[in-house]
Amino acid sequence: MRRINRADVGLLTLVLALSWSGFVEATPLDKLIGEAKKEGTVNFYGPATLTPQGAGSLEAAFNKKYGLNTKLTFHPSLNMTRDVGKFVGMAATGVGPEWDTMVVTDAHYATLWLRKLVDPYDYKSAGVDPQVIHYDNGSISFANQIVLPAYNKKTMPANDVPTKWEDLLDPKWKGGKLGVSTATHHFARLAVGAWGEEKTTQFVKNIASQEPVLGRLAELYNRLLLGEISIAVTLTDSNINDAKKTGAPIVFADTIQPVIAPAYQIGVLKAAQHPSTGHLMAIFLTSKEAQDIWEKYNGQTSAFVPGTTAYKFLKGKQALFMDQKQAKDVDRLARQYGKILGFNR
Amino acid sequence: MRLDVFSRFCKPFEFRQYSVSFFAAGLLALLVLIVGVPVLMVVLMSLRTGFPGEAGPLTLQNFIEVYADAATYEILVNTLLFALGSVGVALLFAVPLSWLLVRTDIPLKKTFYVLLTVGILIPVFLRTIAWILLLSPRIGLLNKWLVEIFNLAGPPLSLYNIPGMAFIQGVSFVPGAFFMLSAAYRSMDPSLEEAAYTSGVGKFTTFLNINIPITLPAIAAVMVYLFMTGIAVFEVPAIIGLPARILVLSALIYTATSPPTGLPEYGIAGAYGGVMLLAGLALAYFYVRLVKQGKKFTVITGRGYRPREIALRRWKWPAIAFVLLYLSIEVFIPFLILLWTSFVPYLQLPSAAALKTMTLRNYLTIPDYAGTRPFINTFILMLGVPTLAMILSVLVSWVVVRTQVRFRGTLDTVAFLPHAIPGILVAVGLAYLSLAYRDYFPLYGTVLIIMLAHVINWVAYGTRTSNSVMIQVHRELEEAGKVAGASTPRVLWKIVLPLIAAGVLNSWIWIGMLSYREVTMALTLYTRNNAVISTVVWQFWSSGWIPQVSALGVVLIVFALIVVGSVRVALARIGEIGSGT
Repeated sequence: MRRINRADVGLLTLVLALSWSGFVEATPLDKLIGEAKKEGTVNFYGPATLTPQGAGSLEAAFNKKYGLNTKLTFHPSLNMTRDVGKFVGMAATGVGPEWDTMVVTDAHYATLWLRKLVDPYDYKSAGVDPQVIHYDNGSISFANQIVLPAYNKKTMPANDVPTKWEDLLDPKWKGGKLGVSTATHHFARLAVGAWGEEKTTQFVKNIASQEPVLGRLAELYNRLLLGEISIAVTLTDSNINDAKKTGAPIVFADTIQPVIAPAYQIGVLKAAQHPSTGHLMAIFLTSKEAQDIWEKYNGQTSAFVPGTTAYKFLKGKQALFMDQKQAKDVDRLARQYGKILGFNR
Repeated sequence: MRLDVFSRFCKPFEFRQYSVSFFAAGLLALLVLIVGVPVLMVVLMSLRTGFPGEAGPLTLQNFIEVYADAATYEILVNTLLFALGSVGVALLFAVPLSWLLVRTDIPLKKTFYVLLTVGILIPVFLRTIAWILLLSPRIGLLNKWLVEIFNLAGPPLSLYNIPGMAFIQGVSFVPGAFFMLSAAYRSMDPSLEEAAYTSGVGKFTTFLNINIPITLPAIAAVMVYLFMTGIAVFEVPAIIGLPARILVLSALIYTATSPPTGLPEYGIAGAYGGVMLLAGLALAYFYVRLVKQGKKFTVITGRGYRPREIALRRWKWPAIAFVLLYLSIEVFIPFLILLWTSFVPYLQLPSAAALKTMTLRNYLTIPDYAGTRPFINTFILMLGVPTLAMILSVLVSWVVVRTQVRFRGTLDTVAFLPHAIPGILVAVGLAYLSLAYRDYFPLYGTVLIIMLAHVINWVAYGTRTSNSVMIQVHRELEEAGKVAGASTPRVLWKIVLPLIAAGVLNSWIWIGMLSYREVTMALTLYTRNNAVISTVVWQFWSSGWIPQVSALGVVLIVFALIVVGSVRVALARIGEIGSGT
């Protein structure tokens, strides 16, 4: 064993002194925290279901975790598609975004990514699981929706509950007993995922021939509650969580597979005013603290974080996640299916 | 010498004439600017692909895409039938209601007026839910009762068709049509009517053959306004039409600017808007011609008068029944449904089990969801929009009715044009303008842009009512003021305005309420900073939070009733003062 000489002691002292004084390179996360401290604020766009209280909880947990005093300004979404479109339009005219970060679905991020409107960051270097990093480091998938057929358990006899997607084509559901939502990208995900385009397109045509009631997701949920329709062909867990909170009798036909699992993603917008805080917020949303808050207010969790509700629900099930290569096809097919079903020309 | 005296006498007159003409030209320029620029933007938008502000050549691609598709023509027919049906239903109720409440001695007039105001305040989509609960083929209570009573094989009624849509939309148009028509009935010369009664003609025949024909220009204006609104509204088409695959133009414009996936297609929206614009301009042309025809046998004279009230006698009870029938459809049933849903945790039909779940939670959580900004912005709109619209309207009416400026007819026509331009197009045009030319028009995302859209939309209504009010004020007082040496602005401020204050304030309240409940334009121009109550209500509705939105609706109706009631009391006092002078 070599004896410690004076030179070693001197070198060690120098290293300690330098690291104490900040000369040793900080980790990427430390850098982000330092820059976020200077920025002091973040404009956060997200689903209205988060509520100002939920946003307040996120702000408090974020500040506690990183020792910050950041002000989070919450901008509830009125219509994600419209807001993404508005941002694209503003960017085209050279106007900066109203928000630093946007929480929207993976399909919406595809639009932003295709137009190079996200500010990439090496999230992996900050310890984020590469599985949840999308669009060339442009966004992080931090929560998954569950999308399945849903029904009113008070009015639906047990033996009528569908157990596979094809059960929805039974003639007994013909004539306004099914409800189909404007979220036709749900079917497009089946097409680019497990089923392929041909099978899915035929399925959508068969659904259309059942003469379903058309509407937005929230409307279908309410029509289910009233008994106007018997089954919503697709509903999201946001609606099911609302039902759980209020005691409404709407549940998923949860034995059906594959399960469609669109992701909520967060990223920082190009030319954002507070990019570092935005990136730090994106990283934060994958943490346990943030996952708990998101689940409490929005009902979703990440399917990639062991132990979460989504992880448990999807364990052993065939789940469909969208990746960036499928983005264009999902958009094209969603429009095509919209026409088949009668939503547009 | 004689010439000298003449020129000295004439100079101030000429100067006054020139300054009036100059002022009128300024007004005309302002109106052309605020009405023309959004329209120009819609035209520009329809000739471009891509996004506002993106450079690109002008193209007819959007028009080819829209009008080469056979489905477009089917949609145009749907739109036409829906709009015409809505106008028909609205007039069916509004014309008799206006006559009954303005010209007859029907009891409880003030109560009926207030209840009509409540009707305006109930959001259309909440009212639509009430109709689903009553008339849905599967769950409609009325259908269930009819099946049981008459032992029918299936539900006899359905609202998922164009007549159903037109009925619901038409009923919601009635308060607006009523307030517009009642001004005409109030200012109607009763001499022809009295002559008919003297000749022994019955009330109903007189109503059909005298009252309706002499108020035809007013009815035509209301028809144009309602028809264009019918083309532009999208709540009922979205809730009742879409589920049954009945598409109309407004739904397509809304879908083009807010697609479920992908990006908005503003160019396509503009191409659809082109048809609306042409239809509106054609209607405006026919309206102007109709008004000119009407002037040949003018029935509104310069003298102030108060038409006497017609005694209903044995027709009193059928008349009350008619008003109550309408109020049940428009106010009582929807409000009861609103009240019920505001107390339950989730939307459900009334039952003993549901009664046990009643809660105040939906009321207590309103601040959590809504915040304060939408209330402040709405307050700003409710004050700013009617004030600006009525200032502009009174000035235009003064030029049109009181001066001999050569182009006063043009000014009147331009002021009427917004009547014929669907609000959604005005909003889309302003949104495009503020995005594409933000350096010159930096209003994007502010409450001011919504205010501007609303002012443009309702200046036509303001000028129609201020024209009819001003025409009743005789010139003698103004002339007396001028002889006494008062300047034109002073005469307008000190003499004309106090005389027309009651009528102007009535329009002010009505425009304020319209601004309060308007959703289409506010939604098109919505950003985080300019959220208003109607966009919050829409947001709740879009999220499926019907109990929460119902609670908000009940609170707003009660609040608005207090405000409107107080203003009406003040208005009545002003009216008394006005009539006293």
